Order: sequence, then structure tokens, then C-alpha cells
Amino acid sequence: MNLFKLVWRNLLRRKGRFVFTLGGVAIGMAAFVSLLTIGQGLDREIKKQAQGLGANLVVTPKGWCAYEQISVLTGEQLPEAIPMSEVDKIRAVPGVKNVIPYVNEKTAFRNRPVPVIGVLPEEMRALQKWEIAAGRYFNGADEPAVVVGAAIATQFQLKPGDTFTVRGNPLPIVGVLSEAGNKDDVASFVPLPVVQELYEVKGMVSFALVQVDDLQQVDTVSLRIQEKANVAVVTDKQLLSSILSIVGTVSGAMQAVAAVGVLAAAFGIINTLLTAVYERRREIGIMQAVGSTRRTLFAAFLLESGLYGLLGGFVGVLMGILGAYVLGPYLTDNAFTASLRQSPEPSLDGTTLLLTFGLSIGLALAAGLYPAYRSTKLSPVEAMRIV
Amino acid sequence: MSETSASVIRVANVSKVYGAGEAAATALSEISLDVARGSWVAVMGPSGHGKSTLLQIMGGLDRPSCGQVYLDGIELSTLGSAQLAYTRARAIGFVFQSFNLLSHLTALENIQLALWFGGKESKEGHARAIDLLDSVGLADKAHLTPSALSGGQQQRVAVARALANDPDILLMDEPTGNLDSASEADLLALLGRLHAQGRTIVMVTHNPVVAESAQRIVRVKDGRVEEDRYNGS
Repeated sequence: MNLFKLVWRNLLRRKGRFVFTLGGVAIGMAAFVSLLTIGQGLDREIKKQAQGLGANLVVTPKGWCAYEQISVLTGEQLPEAIPMSEVDKIRAVPGVKNVIPYVNEKTAFRNRPVPVIGVLPEEMRALQKWEIAAGRYFNGADEPAVVVGAAIATQFQLKPGDTFTVRGNPLPIVGVLSEAGNKDDVASFVPLPVVQELYEVKGMVSFALVQVDDLQQVDTVSLRIQEKANVAVVTDKQLLSSILSIVGTVSGAMQAVAAVGVLAAAFGIINTLLTAVYERRREIGIMQAVGSTRRTLFAAFLLESGLYGLLGGFVGVLMGILGAYVLGPYLTDNAFTASLRQSPEPSLDGTTLLLTFGLSIGLALAAGLYPAYRSTKLSPVEAMRIV
Repeated sequence: MSETSASVIRVANVSKVYGAGEAAATALSEISLDVARGSWVAVMGPSGHGKSTLLQIMGGLDRPSCGQVYLDGIELSTLGSAQLAYTRARAIGFVFQSFNLLSHLTALENIQLALWFGGKESKEGHARAIDLLDSVGLADKAHLTPSALSGGQQQRVAVARALANDPDILLMDEPTGNLDSASEADLLALLGRLHAQGRTIVMVTHNPVVAESAQRIVRVKDGRVEEDRYNGS
């Protein structure tokens, strides 16, 4: 006989209760793992998209909210509120290397919404270093043609020579971009003047990206632009940080929900063990009569609790990984993720999983302290009187 | 505090009061009793007059309200809870009327549990537990749980468990109370053998026939020793 054997036998006496308590711990930990890894995955994906921006400053209309700023990264539809004249003013600001205006619109293609991005072809190609997988790139700055992203081409089985309809106007597809691994894969690109005409926003753009000559001068250039033009300017870092703070709030809320689940599981353990102490009062008395020390009783209940954490944590982490892959796409189904070629992959790293596993055991042990203490406070004589 | 004595158990002016104030109930009232090493003492008396309380206090399961209990010259009240537990594991074997085996453990495991509390390692404990079961004639029932054993068999397992750490003293509370006459005779024969090996037995019983097996009979009434005589005297 040893402590582990005694505890294991005790655990398996009430199989139903064991399974349900273990289930509570496992579900709590699974929710924790799932939501943590999904949040981390989203975070990683946003950073990736921001890196793909390729610019130092983002010029937006004054008064844009965070959601509209996120749309810069996602390629969502945006109002056209910056006149081209303002863009020209920005071009003239000292320290500005390049200005790339965008019009972000959407069109229904085969009953599915597809982003239509109005761009200046040459500037855009230089900025994004696009490669053509099939067909060719635009021949001129106002060619009425479409170049589609790799994912759109696959999704709709499009190839050069096919027709793409923008707001009811058929345009020829002249090329398909190579896979970029970002939002460009799920968009269609049309020269800026063509889009402005089709959407009746002539002379207006949604936002503009700015490259500066000297990275050290980003803040100075930003101030200069705001002095010269009637626009707002954020740096790529500010944009990223403001988006991450929003996503962080969402992730934090998800993790708080998961933490409630984990706490509920810990209270489940306390409840189960207190019931076990109550049910086993007579046995505890017998064990004391036969020679058990209080320390042995304490250790037995603490180990029982720890086993709930160990087994529940193990099952929970496995369920969490599975949950992150299965539920992840549904939980992160929003404007940001919709723009990605696919939902962000959950971010599974060993440290997170080990920490979660440790948290499960630690919480279970903490939950076991009070029941274990209670078991040592029973008088053997009183306990053995119980029939 | 220790006291040199020929008595293996010495109860000196022990009182036990349960509750307080108007609800106070006196179970033992300044009772004194010496139990000589190797003797067999039967404690008799009406129900609720303090027999079991006396046995529990002798074995360190309960503490007296006042007075002292010495076990092999050591006063039990000077021992901490861990030392008291160790004493219960090594020096005393308890047997109860309702057997008090752990229902989810097999006969073998019940004995192994006591061996473990007494500090015997698992492997050593297994061989010793099998020997003990063999000594009470239940080696073939080693892997049965108490519910699969008769009352007599359960009590023999309880005796084997009490003997696990080879204690000098056996404290028994109505050990034949739940047994039929055949099982009772078997158990008394077993106790006779244990006594012959030099063990000290203190046995609470209602049954005069059982008490006659002992060398000495102590009658307790109203928490005091009413009569203390040796069998045949």
C-alpha cells in the first residue's frame, strides 16, 4: 500500500462523480487553452498583416474610428472622403518618398462579396512587390481591367481572359497575382481612375499610404502632412498598436470568460472533495485508529485534488487544442478574419500549453487545501460513531 | 513525563466529560486502572456507562478531561498528534464490534494499509499481510472486499489488521458483538493463542461467556470501577 494507490482507489470509488468533476476541470482548461491560443493566433495574424502594409504612414480622413483603421489592414469597404487634391499636397511635403492612394470598395461576384481595391498600378506594384502568377499586369494607369488575388482566382476558378463584374460592369481579367499570404490574396485590383468612375467617387480616395525618405523623420513628416493637408495621419506602429489594443480587449474578455470556467472547475473540485471528506468521515476515523497521521490524511486529499488537476489539465489541453482548430474559425469570424484568406491559425506554443497544464495542477492543489485541512480536523472517536 | 511501572497500561484518576454546562455528560469519573503486561482483561458493564470511552482513552483515540494515561510508562497527553498516531500504529492494535474495515479495499489491502501506517514498505508489507491472513485462516480470501466476507471472517481480518505491526497491546471493543456463536468461539480461540504469545488484551464485552475467557474482569458503572476481580477468585 502507498499513498498513490490509496488515493487512486478512492478516486475510482465514485466513478460518476470522478468523471463529472474531471469533465469540469477539462472543459475549463480546454476553454482556457482554446481562447488563449485563438487570441494569440489573431494577434500574430494582425502583426503579419501590418507588416505587409509596406508603408510608414497611413493618411486617413479626420475623425476615423478604430474600426475604420482596422479596415485599412483588412481591405474592407471604406468611404471615399479624401480628395485627390489633398493627396497631391501630401506628395509635395518634404521627406515624402511615395504616396499610394486607395479606394476600398466591394462588389458582388457570383453572389459573393469581393473587395475591389482601386490602386495606382505602378506605385502599388513597387510597394507590394507583387509577382504575376498568370497573365500580365496592368498596361497603363487607367486600363479598364482587373488583376485578381491568388485566393480569389482559386475560389472562383478565374484565369486571364475571364470576365469579372464590378458593380454590373464587365471587366476583363488580365492577370492573377502570386500568393502573397495576406489580404491581397482575397481582393481584386482595378486602376484607381476606373474604380472612381465605376463607384462615382471621382477625385476621391479612401485613404493613402505614405513612404518616407528617412525613417528617423517619420514623426516630423507626419506633422508636416497634417499641417499642409486636411487629413489625419497615423504611423504604421500607432495603427498596429491601436488595432492590437482592440483585439487585446476582445482576447482579454475571452480569457476572462475562460478564467471563470477554470475557477468554476476549481470550485467543483472543492465541492467534490468536501463531499468526499463528509462521506468518508467514518473511514478517516478508522484510518486514524489504525495509525494514520493527520499529515497522511492531508496528503491523501491534496493528492486526490492534484490528480483532478493533472488528469483534467491533460484532457483539457488536448480538448483545447482540438477546440482551437474546430471552434476557432467560428469564434474569430469577424470583419478582420473575413478578409483573410483563411481564419488565423491558433497559436500553439509549448510554453502556453505547459503553463496551462501547470495552472490546472496548481489550481487543483489550491482547491484541495481546504478539504484536506477539514479531513485532519475530524476526531477519530466522533468519526467512527457515524454509521 | 514518564513513569516506571510494571503496568503496560496505567489509567490514573481519569475523568471524561462530554459537552459543557447543563448539557455536560460525565462518561468517566476519576477512574484508575492498571493493566499488567501480558494480561487479558475484560471490561464489562451496562451500556453507556463508559466502557468504550475508557478503551478509547487507553488507546489514545480520545483524550481525558483530566487525569493521566500511561502506555509503557509514557504519558499519552505528552505526545503530539503524529507521535500518538505512530503509537497507535506500532504499539496498539484496535478491534471493533463493527469490524471497521475499509469497504473499498480488499482484506489484503486493509492489512497493508495498517502496515504502511506502521512504516512497512509496500513489498515487505505484502508478504507480511499474506502471512497474517494465513494466520487467521483467510489467505484464500485475500483479494475479497469486506462485503464478500462473513461477519466472522471480517472480524478475523480486523484482528489480522490489528496484529499488522506486531503490537504488544490489543484493545477490543465488543469484538464478538456481531458474531454468531461458532465465529465467536473461533475468535476466542484465536485471542487465546495471541494471549499465550504474551500479548496484552483489553476487551470490552457485554457477554459474560466471552468475559470468562479473560483472566481479569473489571466492571464499570457510572464511569467508575465497580468491581475488579480475577477469574476464578
